[in-house]
Amino acid sequence: MPDLLHRYGPDLLTGFGMTLFTWALGTLLGFALGFAIELLRRFGPKRLAWPIRAYVEFIRGTPFLVQLFVLYYGGPLIGLRLDALPAGVLGLTIYGSAYFTEILRAGFDAVPKGQIEAARAMGFTDGVIVRRIMVPVMMVSALPALVNFAIILTKETVILSMITVPEIMFQTQTMMSETFAFVEPILILALFFWGFVEVISRLGRRLERRFTHYLLERS
Amino acid sequence: MTFQTSLKSALFGLSALTLAATGALADQLADIKAAGKIVAATEMHYAPFDMLENGEYVGFDRDLFDEIAKELGVTPEYQDLPWTSILPGLEVKKFDFVLAPVTMTAERAERYAFTLPISDATVAFVQRKGGPLSTPEDAKGKTVGTQKGTAQEIQLQAFSDKIGGITIKGYGTPDEAYADLMTGRLDAVAGSAPLLNYLAKTRPADFAVVNPPFGKPTYFAFVARKGEGDTLIAAINEAIKKIEDDGRMKALQEKWFGAATELPQEMPQL
Amino acid sequence: MFSFQTIFDNLPVLIGAARYTLLISVLGCAQGLLVGAVVCAGALSRRVWLRRAAALYVSFFRGVPLLIQLLVAFYLLPVIGINVPALVAAVLTVGLCAAAYLSEVLRGALNAIPRGQAEAAAAIGMAPRDLWLRILLPQALKIGLPAIINELILLVKASSLVTVVGIVEITRMSQSIASATYRPLEIYLAAAFLYLAINLVIAQAGRLLERRLAY
Repeated sequence: MPDLLHRYGPDLLTGFGMTLFTWALGTLLGFALGFAIELLRRFGPKRLAWPIRAYVEFIRGTPFLVQLFVLYYGGPLIGLRLDALPAGVLGLTIYGSAYFTEILRAGFDAVPKGQIEAARAMGFTDGVIVRRIMVPVMMVSALPALVNFAIILTKETVILSMITVPEIMFQTQTMMSETFAFVEPILILALFFWGFVEVISRLGRRLERRFTHYLLERS
Repeated sequence: MTFQTSLKSALFGLSALTLAATGALADQLADIKAAGKIVAATEMHYAPFDMLENGEYVGFDRDLFDEIAKELGVTPEYQDLPWTSILPGLEVKKFDFVLAPVTMTAERAERYAFTLPISDATVAFVQRKGGPLSTPEDAKGKTVGTQKGTAQEIQLQAFSDKIGGITIKGYGTPDEAYADLMTGRLDAVAGSAPLLNYLAKTRPADFAVVNPPFGKPTYFAFVARKGEGDTLIAAINEAIKKIEDDGRMKALQEKWFGAATELPQEMPQL
Repeated sequence: MFSFQTIFDNLPVLIGAARYTLLISVLGCAQGLLVGAVVCAGALSRRVWLRRAAALYVSFFRGVPLLIQLLVAFYLLPVIGINVPALVAAVLTVGLCAAAYLSEVLRGALNAIPRGQAEAAAAIGMAPRDLWLRILLPQALKIGLPAIINELILLVKASSLVTVVGIVEITRMSQSIASATYRPLEIYLAAAFLYLAINLVIAQAGRLLERRLAY
């Protein structure tokens, strides 16, 4: 193990960094796109409802592996030629947006209608209602599911190895095929992801406390 | 977190210990003969060595191992596993033998026992039909893909140093490299000659092999557990020699590779 | 260049492999919901040790990639004498992993139920068991339904990881065919449509259920 760490240490560090980077970018952009889509569905023209639903079902319904393969290896056939890293981040963004949209939809649906009606009656604009009432209340029920999905995305990033993005799976696979060691790479992957996910879920818990603070005080 | 971590490392450490302790004592050949069957695992993703046709396992390895099992007097059983689980599975004895063609290298031989060479694995280039290479040396300044972490990648690197610069891109499997050759991101793919020949034979309209191979001679072999597997390896090596001497190997090579090649009948210098 | 013939030729084999995808998804989902509800109850318990145990469970099964969990279940447990058949190991591991995610979804949904309801139920002397089974869980299932459907769809796709224990389901079969025919694009698209078909059924069932539960 020390030999392997010495030999592959720098590659592994690059891999960790690349995984963190692609995950962070993919999650943020995916969430932003998902949020935009949900707002469009809720407040946009009715005729957009059907295309949005088709988009969500198609992206959710097919494996990320296939989407990424088609984007990267099939794209050039129709003139869409992306480098590995942009293709990977774009793939994660699109994949994430479909799931985030669905989670946000459920969250907004759980906001009691009375609160929105009351706000409207008081003359609040849609923008204010979304920002001040719907989002904070929605976050209470949606946050665990959002964190869940952000965690799932950490593991989807390993599929980027298929299109040669040098993330952690790519590096450990190289280590495995060069040396035929397998316990070490498995251990490295397990510990890295466990630590990574633990950090994300702690951050999630902290956010959750912030949004549910007003609920807890009463009990 | 610290408790969980130590528990996990204890589990892994334990596994390594137990494996080391049981490795040296047993005689695997006797066990296999007593059971009357040998379970061989491979990744059925490696045409023409291992592949699935309409859900059935076929290929050079299959035909060769059917013959080997006949020589051993046992029934072969085949298992399809991704490469990730082949070495762990071998260690914990989910099966007896790795039937995947593995390029022989000194580093790998430290961990596992190799059989005699079962095929040539020398590296060559494949390109799109009508591509830019007429000799391997034309690869200078081009972008070439290969399966990363393989002995072929190391040879490609050496060749690149020799002729003065090839941009090398590593892929998880050869399949992805071929796909990227089709997209035009790659000018060529480097891989073992038997694989590339089969590719060009299967899709002659799209791919063409650049002759001759450029690497130094290397070989594929099969793999067993060290120590315990020694008797098994010895018996399989005898079987391989017999199959080569009586012409069956030549017939198989012609069937799957299109041409016969001589293989060394003793362990090559790694 | 794109070959539809390849897709038609290999569709029957792919559909055959889909049986394993379905089997593992259905059993894994049932187990995941059951265990997930228990873990969620543990996470919300008054007892500290139950909360800790639930947190550890979620941390492990959500933190360590399913691929690695499967490798451990099938290739490392035999070392300490636990040897189970591949299919059993696959279903159990997938189910335990799904439970971690589902318990979190349920917890979020329970958070959204106004506290007054539990207080009112306690005030009229309702037993905690009735409170859970009649008031809290039904509402949590309703509020959490879209997120649960999300998780189930993810589960169907995650079932492709069971190939590491030697089970040949849709993804594995499509990789094998792609490798033998050198036509990955065609085969992967075919596989994508099989997954899409399965997941559309799940999503549609979810929407119907949602409509029935709506008040």
